[in-house]
Amino acid sequence: MLKFFGAAMVIAASGLSGLAVAGSYARRPRELRALRSALQMLETEIMYGATRLPEAFDTVASRCDRLAEPLFNQAGVELASMSGISAAEAWEKALDKYYPASALKPGDHSILIGLGRSLGRSDCADQVKHLRLAMEQIAQETANAEEEASRNVKMWSYLGFLGGLVFVLVAY
Amino acid sequence: MKAAGLPLNVVECIKENPVDAILPVLPANIRDMVAALPAQVKEQVEEIRIRQGRPLVLGISSADTFIQTGGGLTSRAPEAYRATTADMERVIQLLSGSSLYALEEELRNGFITLPGGHRVGITGKAVLDGGKIRTLKYLTGCNIRISREIHGAGEHVLPHIIERNRRSIYHTLLMSPPGCGKTTILRDLVRQISNGIPAMGFTGLNVGLVDERSEIAGCYKGVPQKDVGIRTDVLDGCPKAEGMMMLLRSMSPGVIAADEIGRREDVDALEEVLNAGVKILITAHGVSPADLAERPVMTRLMNAKMIERFVILGRSRGVGTIEDIIDGRSMRSLGVRKC
Repeated sequence: MLKFFGAAMVIAASGLSGLAVAGSYARRPRELRALRSALQMLETEIMYGATRLPEAFDTVASRCDRLAEPLFNQAGVELASMSGISAAEAWEKALDKYYPASALKPGDHSILIGLGRSLGRSDCADQVKHLRLAMEQIAQETANAEEEASRNVKMWSYLGFLGGLVFVLVAY
Repeated sequence: MKAAGLPLNVVECIKENPVDAILPVLPANIRDMVAALPAQVKEQVEEIRIRQGRPLVLGISSADTFIQTGGGLTSRAPEAYRATTADMERVIQLLSGSSLYALEEELRNGFITLPGGHRVGITGKAVLDGGKIRTLKYLTGCNIRISREIHGAGEHVLPHIIERNRRSIYHTLLMSPPGCGKTTILRDLVRQISNGIPAMGFTGLNVGLVDERSEIAGCYKGVPQKDVGIRTDVLDGCPKAEGMMMLLRSMSPGVIAADEIGRREDVDALEEVLNAGVKILITAHGVSPADLAERPVMTRLMNAKMIERFVILGRSRGVGTIEDIIDGRSMRSLGVRKC
């Protein structure tokens, strides 16, 4: 009886960790899409509203997908505190909190960091150029992420359980 | 005083000391140096000039002085703290709220107005587009002018510009070279004319204020940060000529006030206002009516004898000294001197 219970535990544990890996593969494209549409909103705020960044971040945070919300919310808070930091620093601080909790990869991180360096430092046309570039890059990453997801999500969700099962059978 | 959308700590500062109010736009190192200045120096600070690679200058009422590395004042330039490229970049980021793109119009005009009505002049390299300034880049110099609200600054002027029947005011022009307190006095006059002065039996008038540079009412998001009176309508950031016409048509003002008249279209609009029977309260750069009459645009204004009172300001006894008040018709002094 105890053996049976242990075997169930092993299968459940490895199954769940397989699901977690699969989940992160599935989450990355969703996060990238959310980020891209949030950046689109930011572009609109900057181009048509000429809204200042702290406000623009808040507006975007309140409207965008909840997957991207923490990043913009935090950046808005950092900037509005008037503690003497620049937009790039506020963005990086927010990203430092957001990135570890997300399913993003280092490549995505560097796209966002690159965008942050140019935020708020130039005229409207230039800002739009930088935002478009970042969105373009994110779109490409999204395509990659989707392909990876389609390959890996199913595999990992089965692999976890099956791996657990194999371990149990071998050890039995 | 209501400051919409400002972080609480900033609002608190505005109440305390105007210099503390501009601290949030200074980079941390310069902020510390300025914050550590003795209170009586802070009281007198009129401007803070930051120029890339050059000494940090503090303009106080008597003269200008440098800020030393590590705080404290010095009159010797070599000992002064020199603003670095990073400082300058930070100042610009902080001044613009990290949103340079939102300030294209302001950069074209060469200045930004901060919450609280403080004006920051900015210099750099002009980017031209078809011969007109499109924007500025390589921003390397700025002058933060601290705006002070002094209730009662117009006290000595008021009795001379209110009509005998106490119902209205005379057409008045305040003039002085820059930095003599024109705007401060104009603001106080607007406030008192708008509120009314019970002691003089003067009931308030509706005042239309065209605040092209956001200096008089110091509007932040459209809300006046300075006390400009209960019957004052403010058109913030609006070109004077158009603003005066808009107010004339829509707000039925008793008085129209504007700062720094100098362009041809301003004078055209003033003529319209005068013909409509609305009183004017304006300022201009200049030292005397004769000096003003020599400027082509102003000649028309002077020849038409439109202005009934010329108030000449100077700083012979400190900023805002009333050097003379001249009657516009007889061109004779009303005998008010130095107060």
